[in-house]
Order: sequence, then structure tokens, then C-alpha cells
Amino acid sequence: MTAVMAPPVKPAPPPVKRVRRGGGIAPPWLFAAPALLVYALVMLYPSIVGAGSAFTDWSGVGEQRSFVGFDNFQELVHDDQALGALRNTLLLTLAIVVVQNGLGLLLALGVHTTIKSRMVLRVIFFAPVVVSPVMVSFLWKYVYNPAPDAGLNAALNAVGLGALRQDWLGDPSLAIWSVAFTVIWQCAGYSMVIFLAGLEGVPKELHESAMVDGAGTVARFRHITWPLLAPAVTINVMLSTVGGLTLFTQIIAMTNGGPGYATDTLSTVLYKQAFVFGKFGYSTAVALVLAIFVAAVSFLQIGYLRSRETTA
Amino acid sequence: MASEIIRPQVSRRRLLQLMGGVAVAGTLAGCGGGNSAGGSGGGPLKVIGAGSQEAGLRKALDEYKKQNSSFDFNLSFSPADQLQTALRAQLAAGNAPDMHAVYPGNGSAMSMVQLSKANLLTDLSDQAWTQKIPTGFKGAYQQDGKTFIFSPGTSVLGAIYNKKAFAKAGVEVPTTWSELLTVCETLKKKGIVPLALGAQTPWVTQLINYALVPGTVYAKQPDFDDKMAAGSATFAGSGWADAMNKYLELQKRGFFNDNPNGTTYEQATSMVGTGKAAMAVQVSAVLQAYRDAAPSPDDLGMFPLPATDTVADNWIPGGIVVGLAVSAKSKKADEARKFIEFCGQPDMINTWAEAVACVPLYSEGEAKVDPVLKPFLHYLSGNKAVPFMDQRWPNAEVQPTHFAVVQELLGGKTTVDGALKKMDEAYRKTA
Repeated sequence: MTAVMAPPVKPAPPPVKRVRRGGGIAPPWLFAAPALLVYALVMLYPSIVGAGSAFTDWSGVGEQRSFVGFDNFQELVHDDQALGALRNTLLLTLAIVVVQNGLGLLLALGVHTTIKSRMVLRVIFFAPVVVSPVMVSFLWKYVYNPAPDAGLNAALNAVGLGALRQDWLGDPSLAIWSVAFTVIWQCAGYSMVIFLAGLEGVPKELHESAMVDGAGTVARFRHITWPLLAPAVTINVMLSTVGGLTLFTQIIAMTNGGPGYATDTLSTVLYKQAFVFGKFGYSTAVALVLAIFVAAVSFLQIGYLRSRETTA
Repeated sequence: MASEIIRPQVSRRRLLQLMGGVAVAGTLAGCGGGNSAGGSGGGPLKVIGAGSQEAGLRKALDEYKKQNSSFDFNLSFSPADQLQTALRAQLAAGNAPDMHAVYPGNGSAMSMVQLSKANLLTDLSDQAWTQKIPTGFKGAYQQDGKTFIFSPGTSVLGAIYNKKAFAKAGVEVPTTWSELLTVCETLKKKGIVPLALGAQTPWVTQLINYALVPGTVYAKQPDFDDKMAAGSATFAGSGWADAMNKYLELQKRGFFNDNPNGTTYEQATSMVGTGKAAMAVQVSAVLQAYRDAAPSPDDLGMFPLPATDTVADNWIPGGIVVGLAVSAKSKKADEARKFIEFCGQPDMINTWAEAVACVPLYSEGEAKVDPVLKPFLHYLSGNKAVPFMDQRWPNAEVQPTHFAVVQELLGGKTTVDGALKKMDEAYRKTA
């Protein structure tokens, strides 16, 4: 009988030890250092120094300032204008998140087909995104001209819908929705592109096998496309939420927060407090609260959406 | 070995040194920018003016350059709404221009009182022209007895009107509130918008109140501002309520263009210039813009807006126009001060005042005044002119609150009482 000899076990090579001479810094940090430095200089340092102003009564100019503790934060809690602005901010954010992403998804589904003009349509829908928000705002200000023979009102007249003419930016009840529409018009293409990238990642085989099983368009969207779009939904909802909560440019350019306080958001309030009212300390307190609020909302949102991705 | 190839060649100490070096370089670069903008030794004098002072300021600078060949300047302008944000950001960053626009008196974040209290303006008190400032206007130029701004004179506020539109409707310039309503009614019947109002532009919202309040408040209570400061008067309990009710009456009777809250200053200007609207309540400093919008500058005239039915009570608002100050941090302060001294000479004051349609601060001999301002002159000489109200308000919050509540009133979102209470709350806040 021949004894079968077990092959000699080859000892595993010892783990490679990263050698650092003289306490050097790992290369990833070296590569990241320039960007981190710029970030620290441009973002972190001014933010930390600025946050200190929230506890002072600094006017924004000159050297005079006194420490006032939490007075600015107490004032914020009782400030009707800031509370109204918070309400407007939340309304705008909700409208933008829901409608912009809904529209973006519809556009993405529309151009993710085999129609011949899909590439042209993608460019057309994305085009507003590359235009400066200030430019877009000024253009829409012309569109929203309240005169019956100008802009949107003239167009409504021309198609026999003259009864729907409005003072789009001058009516306190309507102005905020006019601004929201402009933002959605500009940014829906951005959501579309992210959804489109998500759609490109959905395997065709899944759709084909579902079709063999007799699944219709709606069923395939509900059970295949939508769950697999979860990462794109996370990104879109996150970006539009942060964008909505910090919306500033379009409001300043179109309504300056008016009529009255009808379109003021937390961003416009902190801007006005700093540069119009000369209350830089209070403005910084508003900014600090806004930053914490945005961070908290984003944190909660990303936690929920990530868990949804895992489930999907 | 691979691990050797990627072994870092830079020690922690060395990297931190490098980062420190870059940080210092960055900081120095930032400071360098500040110094150059703040008026370093070389380069032209940097000047930022308000849009409404362009015609006069440019003339003065050109004339001074003609007389001083070594003088050079870099001039830019900002519209009123952007001026205080842009300039305040520069002031806060320590890189303000050598000379810049400043509003007279108090009441705005870019006003003389607010900036001089922050030690950001150069004292001009030793210049000869400052001795000519009339006592009643000292509050507009001076803080704690020191003069901090130069302004060429007084702008008046009233109704700019299209003469052709008036002729078409067969109406004359009104002298009482009732006559004004009748004129508006007649114009409306002729299909002409009686009053153009571009209330989407915030600063325009205040003008009708400013035109009415001298009659409804100050003619009866010339010391109203002192009483407000002492806390013994309020907006809500004064003739301001009468003025705001009259403002609303003009709207309720359909005398404004449709949707004033959605109409801009520029659109309102065009309406009057082309005769689509007959009048707009405005400051004389913007007359040039209206003339530019009209086929002929002679189409336009101006008259004091009557606030009451008692002619003797119809005072006018007449305030010192936006001025010019020398930054306290300017390294060319001496050069800037020399230019201001040049502006303070009677000829130059007259030239500047004429260019921006205001009444000169002082003159030797007969002042050259834009003919359309003649209906206002006897109010000025007869002490029936009141400085623009914000110039005596104690903080920068009352004026923007006034803008907002007028828009809310026009939009039906508040009442006169509610609007004035908000203004009172803003007034009581600390400066």
C-alpha cells in the first residue's frame, strides 16, 4: 500500500507591514492635503470664526462688538419674520423636492426609450441647468410681467385663457409658487440626468424575464425599476432638499423676499439682517441655526433613504 | 518592494511646514488684495457711487482730472438696492474703496451716522464748504459735530407728470388732495393710468407716504421726530395713519396701474415717459431717467403732491441727496479729501446739483436750478420742507420694514394699523 503523503503545507507569507520612516504621512493624505488645505482656509476657518459672531452684537462693520451670550438665539425664537421665513422655506422645499423629482423621473423615463429624438430631448431638458440661476430668474421675471399684454399673461390671452392672468410675483399668495415653479423648471433636468443614470443601471434581463412572466409596464416599474432606482432617489432627494432649504438666488433676484415678507426664506432673512439691517451677529445666529437644521434634516433623510436602498 | 516604492518621502514636519507656507502665502495674498482695493500707494483713486449720483459725480471727477493731470480715478456705480450690500461687504472685509456713496443722516445701514459710529469715515470738518451747511441740514451731514459726508444739495419729492397726458385729459396741476383725486378720476376716464407705481422695487414703495406725511404729520407737528425719539409719539397714533389711508384710497379707487406689487421702477418710469401713465411720485434725482424714457425731455414736469385740502398745510419732503465720503482706511485719504474740497466750491456744487436735479447746498449769487424744480423752491425757502423721514430714524430696520408693510398693504395682507405697529416695533429696536 502506498501511503499517500499529504503535501507539505506552505506557510502563509507574513503580512506586509507598511513601513514608515521617520513617522511620515501616508500617501492618501498627501494627495488630499492641498484640497483639504483649501477647504480649511475657505470653508472651515471662516465658518468657525463666523460662528463666534452669533454670540455678539456686531453690526458687520467696524470693530465695536460685545458678547451677548444667547440673546440672538432668543430673539430668533420670537422673530415673526424669521418664523414666517421658516414656514416659507419648508413649503418651498417640499414643493421642490416632490415636483422637481417627480418631473425629473417622468422626463428620465420619457427619454430612456428608443424614440429617435431622445438625445436631443435630453439636451433640451438639461439645458436650463447650465444657465446661471440669476439669468434664469431675470428671464422669468420678464415672463411673469403682470401687464396683460406681456409675458405669460399675453400667452394665456393668446390661447383664450385670459381669465387665468395673474400678478405672478406681486400677489402675496401666489409669489412663492411662482418662484418654486422657476426653480423646478430649471432643476428638473438635473434630477432627470441622475434618474437616467440610475435607469441605465437597471439590467435589461430583469425586464425581459418579467415580460415573459406577463408583467405589464406599471408592474415592471413598480417591482423592478423603482426599487433599483433607490440610490438615484437618495441622491436626488438629498440634493433638492438641501437646495430648497438654502434657496436664495432666485428669491433675491425675482422678489427680494416680497411682496412684504411673502417669499422670505431663512437664507434671505439672514442676508437682510446682515447687509440691510446691519445686524451681523443676529444674522450669523440665523445662519448657524439654518446650518444645524439642514445638517439634521440631511442626516435623518440619508439614514432613511439608505435603509430603503438596503431593503430594495 | 512595492511598499518601498510608495514609501512617503515627506515627513510630517515637512508637510506641516509646507502647509503653513501655503497658508501664509494665501493669507498674504488676501491681505494684498485688501490693501490694493483699500487704496495703496499706486494706482487710481477707487470710487463707488450710487446710480442716482452718476451724472454729477462723473462731471466732478472729470473736471478735477482736467485741472490735475496727475489725478486718476476708477469709478463704478451700484443701483440703490445693491449699493449697501456690496459696499457693506467691502467695508466689513476692510477693502472699501477710497471714496464711496453714503446716505445722509441715519436710518440705513449705509447711512452717515451708522458708518461714522463704526469709525469708517474720514472727518471733513476742516473744509471751508462745511461752514455753509444750513443749521436745519446739519443732522444729514454731521455726527457729534463732525462733518463726514459731502452732498451737493437737496432733492425734492413730488409728482413727476407727463404734460401731454395732462393736456389730453384737459386737467391742470392739482393743489389740494381733493383736486388730486378729481384729476386722477378724469385721467382714468380718458383711459390714462393716473399714477404709475412700481412697488416691486422696494424703495419705490415708500415714496407716496414720504410725499404725504409732511402734510399729514409735520405741518401740524414739526417736532414729530423729536417726540418719536423721546418715545412720546408713535407712527400708529400720528398722521402717518392718515397718509397710509390716503395711499390705500388711491389704490382702491383704481388710480394705480394694475398689479403695482408686480411692477418694477423701470416699468413705471416707462409708463410715464410714454404717456401711458400720467404721473409717478418720485424724487427729483431720478428725473433724468424719466426724461430718457420720454420722446422729449420737455414732456415732463414736476409738482408737489398735495396731501391735504388746506393749501398752507401741504408741506414737501426735501432731503439731502446721497453723498460721498472718504474711507477712514484709505491710503489716499489726502487725495480724496482734496477732491471733496474741490466739489465743495460753489461752481462745482452748482454743476453737480444741476446734473442730478437738486437744489444746491449753497450758492454765490443765483443758483442754477432745473426749471421743473421751481414749484418747490418757495417751500424750501419758507421752511415748509421736511427731510426724508428715514434720515432721522434711529436704526436701519425701520425703512425696510416700511417697504415690506406697504407691499403687504397693497397686497391686502395687512391693515394700516397693523402696518404702522410693525414700523413702531422696528423703531423701538436699538440702533
